[in-house]
Amino acid sequence: MIAPGTGERMRDVLVVGGGLLGWSAAAALRRKIPALRITVLPLPPPVDALAERLSSTLPSIVEFHRDIGMSDGDALLRANCGFRLGTEFQHWDGPLRSYVHAYDRYGQAFGTASFHIHWVRQAQAGSTPPFDHYSPAAAMARAGRFVLPEADPAHPLAHFEYGLALDAQAYPQMMRAYALHLGAVERPGGFKGVRIDGESGFIAAVALDDGNEVKADLFVDCTGPRALLRGQLDRAFEDWSRWLPCDRLLFADAAPVADPSPLDRAIAHGAGWRWVAQSRSRTSHGFAYASSELSDDKAARTLRGHAIADPLAPIALRQGRRPQPWLRNCVALGDAATMIEPLEWTNLHLAHSAIDRLVAMMPDRDCAPVELWDYNRQCAAESDRVRDFLALHYAASNRDEPFWRRMRDVAPPESLAHTMRLFAERGRLPFYEDETFARDSWLAVLLGQGIIPRRTDPLIDSVPLAQSEQAMAALRDGIARMVPTLPTQAEFLTHLQRQAAR
Amino acid sequence: MPTRRVVIVGGGTAGWMTAAALAKLLPGRCDVHLVESEAIGIVGVGEATLPHIRAFNERLGIDESDFMAATRATFKLGIEFVDWGRVGDSYIHPFGTFGPGGGEVDFHQFWLRLRQQGIAVPDLDRFSMACTMARMNRFALPSRDSRRLDSTFGYAYQFDATLYAPYLRRIAEGMGARRTEGRIVTVHRDGETGDVTSVQLESGEKVEGDLFVDCSGFVSLLLDKTLNVPFQDWSKWLLNDRATAMPCRTEGQVTPYTGVIAMPYGWRWRIPLQHRTGNGYVYSSQFLSDEDAAQALIGAVEGERIAEPRVLRFKAGRREKSWVKNCVGVGLASGFLEPLESTSIYLIQAAITALLELFPEKKVSAIDRDEFNRLIDLEYDRIRDFLILHYHATERADTPYWDYVRTMDIPDSLAEKMDLFRRRGRVVKYREGVFLDASWVAVYLGQRVIPQGHDLRADAPSAESLIAGMQKLVREIQGLSSGMEEHSAYLRRYCPMKEAA
Repeated sequence: MIAPGTGERMRDVLVVGGGLLGWSAAAALRRKIPALRITVLPLPPPVDALAERLSSTLPSIVEFHRDIGMSDGDALLRANCGFRLGTEFQHWDGPLRSYVHAYDRYGQAFGTASFHIHWVRQAQAGSTPPFDHYSPAAAMARAGRFVLPEADPAHPLAHFEYGLALDAQAYPQMMRAYALHLGAVERPGGFKGVRIDGESGFIAAVALDDGNEVKADLFVDCTGPRALLRGQLDRAFEDWSRWLPCDRLLFADAAPVADPSPLDRAIAHGAGWRWVAQSRSRTSHGFAYASSELSDDKAARTLRGHAIADPLAPIALRQGRRPQPWLRNCVALGDAATMIEPLEWTNLHLAHSAIDRLVAMMPDRDCAPVELWDYNRQCAAESDRVRDFLALHYAASNRDEPFWRRMRDVAPPESLAHTMRLFAERGRLPFYEDETFARDSWLAVLLGQGIIPRRTDPLIDSVPLAQSEQAMAALRDGIARMVPTLPTQAEFLTHLQRQAAR
Repeated sequence: MPTRRVVIVGGGTAGWMTAAALAKLLPGRCDVHLVESEAIGIVGVGEATLPHIRAFNERLGIDESDFMAATRATFKLGIEFVDWGRVGDSYIHPFGTFGPGGGEVDFHQFWLRLRQQGIAVPDLDRFSMACTMARMNRFALPSRDSRRLDSTFGYAYQFDATLYAPYLRRIAEGMGARRTEGRIVTVHRDGETGDVTSVQLESGEKVEGDLFVDCSGFVSLLLDKTLNVPFQDWSKWLLNDRATAMPCRTEGQVTPYTGVIAMPYGWRWRIPLQHRTGNGYVYSSQFLSDEDAAQALIGAVEGERIAEPRVLRFKAGRREKSWVKNCVGVGLASGFLEPLESTSIYLIQAAITALLELFPEKKVSAIDRDEFNRLIDLEYDRIRDFLILHYHATERADTPYWDYVRTMDIPDSLAEKMDLFRRRGRVVKYREGVFLDASWVAVYLGQRVIPQGHDLRADAPSAESLIAGMQKLVREIQGLSSGMEEHSAYLRRYCPMKEAA
């Protein structure tokens, strides 16, 4: 039995969960800390584990792959991955309006002020094309085109990042093969329960349905919202439903299209929002809604109408997070730690980020509280800011339905209120540690949803209005000229495959 | 664009830095009017600075060598701390990284791992460009190519603060700032809002304004005397409440670093300028009389005294708010932290930067004010913890003073940081803030806070490859440093001061 306080090295880690998350954790741990023995109990992921199910991912997945030594190109092509550049938000700021959140630099700073201040000043002076017209990646995405970022920082396409569109079958298989290749061991079996040491409260072993048990120093819980292991230690939960009101999810898969768009869509609806995300293997439709506003039947009919496919059974979603994802010798990852709706596709991102943190902070076998404290503190800071970013979409909407009007009346979390207050006043974005979304992402959503600062930064005074307009027009023209010359995603993928075949 | 009348109360470093920045960077937004009295002395704090000051000077369009010549400045690569962990100890807190920088695992983790394996490795400061250059008394400007080892250090200045203010005054006045000489006798306020409306001078002249910047130093004429903003007292952790200062001729080297030498009841600074060396003893009046402090300082300095010791009084802490109504405190009027880590001018700069970014309209908005206060509080609070670490992480038991600081209760925020470092050398990471990872590592290890473990990712490479890499690194750093010019020679060539008139 583990004796806390002994300071002995961590040796045996049991990862419970056999989806892409469990295998990703196993691969990262083996790769970064070769002294660890990693065993995976490959329980099939439950349907409500969103980090496992959503095919759209944020750019951080590319970094994650690089970090664990998985080269981007070849493996990903074989795993049938595609690219994505961002999300188009339709009708959030009232009907007929749309904006694109791309992972890009919007505009280019000149003079002493950042670009968005120039944009705001033009908007106040009269009119200027929407903010997303100044992002090359947003324009490329709207046109269904894709290339990888350019290396030369002077090139307009040098500053964007891209996410991946995963294949729900091929990707976890590839990650499993990679983890096994790195030396992780698979221990097939069904989960029966956990045995907790009475004295320390640590998990001593996981009992399997074949009568055996698996002991370990550390247990990594990748079993989805039910958190089969971590849930045994405590049930504390911080509820976010005040700010993130959707408590139901519907999924419907339709056939893939020949040339999938690198831009997915999030379309606001009277009682929530729905998405369309095209990947190489399917077109994913989904619907997030508040059950108090809309019955499951009506929601299913709505989604069926758009997807031309039958939705699966609705999934109940309780948004929020565990205050301590890591307690004693058990750490919860993914949906076992944080449950959040798919808006902005943060589920897998948060899980990857937690894996990085777990690797970087691996304690001794005694899992000293001070080390776990730092881990939990960072997880909390990060996921609270992600919550803020998502809640912003609701808090700043301009729709008329009672659901949306109510959402506007809810007081946002203080950290989001702080951001919105400062931004609405003078276009300033306060700095937060552990921020997932870059400043330009915040700007894309704030300005996209129609929050226009009341005044501008005095530092812009030194650049005359006409000079701003001239520079901005040049940026727009450059983007408009460039986009039609770029390949579509299908063309680009064909090009990559040819390169790989060579 | 409506202009605002900004009245700066007090000259000195804070006043003229504020005046120059506002006049230069917000032309057309504000009329700058500074009121100072030659009868009131200036504290002239912070002869040693942090690298951030370079960005400030750059924004003002200041030419480095001209500024250095005018203020008789020398270069500063870090601070040497002597006798802190134990009497006889010495370490340098460098401006720069240990190891080549970058990489996902901090360099000191590999170093810790080898040491914990029982392998003899050179001291950590041998892996720092800044420390090595400082010990060899060399200087060169850092390379701009981030792949090169000689890009891994930063630098600041040691200068005569009483010459910096006049230097900035020329810039500010050149940009249209006005100056009025006179002592303020009355502060007038609006009966309804409580805002300050004007300050009245001995001559009877009234200077009116929309926004008032309190640069009145320890007097804190607006924040304290007028608005009665409460002071958060930190003296239970930072005991020192006196300094006695005395310049002397330079006998030793003109070092490219500041000396900070622990004393029986505090510490002593040594700041070499081009023409003299600044010295001072910072101490606690609970433990040491002013006379004894002066004697101790006189006994410790290296060269002939240029002036008699002069005593300054202060208290560690900050105002609960630095911006109240239409008054913004910059510098000592808003708080004081002893110059152990040369943060005085940095704190002035941080307040000015925040004021520029949050510069108000005619009527002050609570949103701007609250954000300003949040940012400034954060700066003070983080520096506070870093300073307390220097006192608490000691084995010294030679006087009641050291017994107290060694055994005192420290803020939870610091206790957690220290625990974490003791476990496996982890530094609580901030992306923003004045002192980053390497600074904390330098002080922890320099003052014998030794981790029991290390980051397990540091186990990945073989010991042989690590040792070979480290040997190569030390050779390269040594080679680059010894190829550089001697510090005094660099100064003579780059920025020789004009002979005193």
